[in-house]
Amino acid sequence: MNHTEPETAAPSAAPVSAPLPDLLARRFVLVTGKGGVGKTSVTAALGRLSAAAGRRTLICELNTHEHIPGLFGRPPVGGAVSPIAENLWSVNIQPDEAMEEYGVMKLRFKTLYRLVFDNPLVRRLVRFVPGMNDLLMLGKAFNHERERDHDGKPVWDMIIVDAPATGHGITFFKLPRIIRDAVPAGNLHHEAAAMWDLLTDPVRTAVHLVTLPEELPVRETLELHGRLADELGLPLGALLVNMMPPHLLSAEQAEVFARLETRPDDPLLGALWDSTQVRLSREVLSDRAVSELGPLGLPTVRLPLIYTDDFGAAEVQILADAIAAGLAALSAVATR
Amino acid sequence: MTATPPDLRALLASRRLLVTAGAGGVGKTTTAAALALQAALDGRRAAVLTIDPARRLAQALGLDQLTGELRPVAPHHFESAGLAPKGELWAMMLDTATTGDQMVARFAPDAATAAAILANPYYKYFSTSLAGAQEYMAVEQVRALVAEGRFDVVILDTPPATHALDFLDAPDRLIEALDSSAVQALVRGRQRAADSLAGRLLGRGRGVILKSLDRLTGGPFLEDLTEFLSLFGSILDALKTASKAVSTLLRAPSTGFLLVTSPTRSNVDEAVRFHAALAERGFPFGAFVANRVHFNQALLPPAGLSAAVRVDLEATLAAALAETAGEPVTAAARAALIDTLCAGLADHNRMARRDAGALQRLNEAAGRPPVAVPLLPLDVRDLGNLAHVGDWLLGREPRP
Repeated sequence: MNHTEPETAAPSAAPVSAPLPDLLARRFVLVTGKGGVGKTSVTAALGRLSAAAGRRTLICELNTHEHIPGLFGRPPVGGAVSPIAENLWSVNIQPDEAMEEYGVMKLRFKTLYRLVFDNPLVRRLVRFVPGMNDLLMLGKAFNHERERDHDGKPVWDMIIVDAPATGHGITFFKLPRIIRDAVPAGNLHHEAAAMWDLLTDPVRTAVHLVTLPEELPVRETLELHGRLADELGLPLGALLVNMMPPHLLSAEQAEVFARLETRPDDPLLGALWDSTQVRLSREVLSDRAVSELGPLGLPTVRLPLIYTDDFGAAEVQILADAIAAGLAALSAVATR
Repeated sequence: MTATPPDLRALLASRRLLVTAGAGGVGKTTTAAALALQAALDGRRAAVLTIDPARRLAQALGLDQLTGELRPVAPHHFESAGLAPKGELWAMMLDTATTGDQMVARFAPDAATAAAILANPYYKYFSTSLAGAQEYMAVEQVRALVAEGRFDVVILDTPPATHALDFLDAPDRLIEALDSSAVQALVRGRQRAADSLAGRLLGRGRGVILKSLDRLTGGPFLEDLTEFLSLFGSILDALKTASKAVSTLLRAPSTGFLLVTSPTRSNVDEAVRFHAALAERGFPFGAFVANRVHFNQALLPPAGLSAAVRVDLEATLAAALAETAGEPVTAAARAALIDTLCAGLADHNRMARRDAGALQRLNEAAGRPPVAVPLLPLDVRDLGNLAHVGDWLLGREPRP
């Protein structure tokens, strides 16, 4: 099994157990949002935060070009669960490997699996059924949730799935229910039903939404929230607003700057005026967009836009700190 | 290498079908809509289609909703944006359920078969619920629209990159699946299912394979799927012909792929991979479009301003402020403001360095620079905004 490997490969820190906010206490976490909102960076930051709290944490990418290990300065790990930082492991789940794992688990023998799945007709049939890959990959993440060590304790304290972008994402979340309802009986039915139970269990599972402070992503998040929460009944966690531009000017400076109503003729001051205008209008648009997320009533955390030409481990740490600070502020408000 | 970016106006004029593709959130839909709008403004009949399940295009075009029907953009949307199109702009959301239904209705040998397919639970599973199914369904409608000849140019917006590859492969995969004598026999020979499956198709080890599959899925699944495929089999030939036509269309010289990206590393990676995938599959590349680009402002050197320039700048700012109404601003406050403004521009230039690297990578991949659109301080939500984006795309002075 995969999970035995990292136990020797990475030093397991004594659990420091900084208490995690309730939101991060659920074991099965899915991170989703529109494409391009920085889901993967946020996933990495959540993993960092969880690992720093002394929890054995596994990040699952689903058949992507693997961005997570790179964010921790590591080479790609492929389909094998591999350590990427203290208390933190990562895997890039591949549909073919997931199918093999499921097949071997059910059929018990690898040779039998080979006999079945090396058959060209079977391969073609499986390929022809759309969604099968997604189901297999979600199933593999689900299996990690079920993994137990020889004492019967969960192998992973936290599993974070970098779920597909929305549009595609809704279909992805619906899949177990579709299969459960479409297949009347048998293994596939039971697997899908168990997966659906996990996905909709507010004790074990949290679905975090990542968005950008821009008009269209916000509208899509409102729509996505409706579909995930109301239509599917998934337990939503936090709303993470990524790439919030930090305010450049202090209130006094903004007042002084506003007195320069037209672009100064001086080339340098003009260039500074231009770039500040662009930046200020982006701040205004961002603030306005975020305010429209209020009605969702989700715990909301803002993550700063980081002006860097090299996004890496240091930047992931900045995001992790921002999530920790944001959640702490939320619970302070809640207890006041 | 050619030093100039490709001329999108020429592409718009010479291609019948333009396909925008790229990672999520890079402005594909906006690019597709902006180009269609430009074509319409230039007097051409343009249609823009999206199979993106999120209704972004509808929003950008100021339409309340895009349905499975092709509709003209209402004149008042142009008027309120101060635009007077000489041509026509039509838009449509490729609704997967509708597209699938239409396809079944069109290809089924008779109404009863069509009804049986539409009522089959696996049809719904295929047509609406599952990822990838929409690619099977959408391509045919695009082909029909292009073939009709009603439009000078059709612009097709695709789902994010990994799925856009599915989209490219869908027609060929469908042909492959349908061509397979095994699947043909499976779907046509279900009366003798056990025998034909076991005997002719699976070959050696057939009993074990069938039993194993049953154990993996539960028996009824395979049986029901086979039944669905056999129903579907009645439209296979027509579908195959259509799929071949789509495959041909996507490779035609009158088609062009616009690979849209933002300057982030992962998006550029996707775009470069996609470019290679196009070449591998024989699809005609049109251009790279890089959105949200920061351009370097050379007036602020990386090391910061020299002391002399700094002194001049403080004097210039003092003079500019002196002309405005309000309390006098202290020298210290002016100096602090200049520091802040320079820090802001330095942030911008740091992003510009990243973006220059991105443009360079695209340049190397394509052999010429990409079309680059700056990060614009606006949300695209009406035709006026869209026209502004279009001006950048076509490389002309943006209208105010």
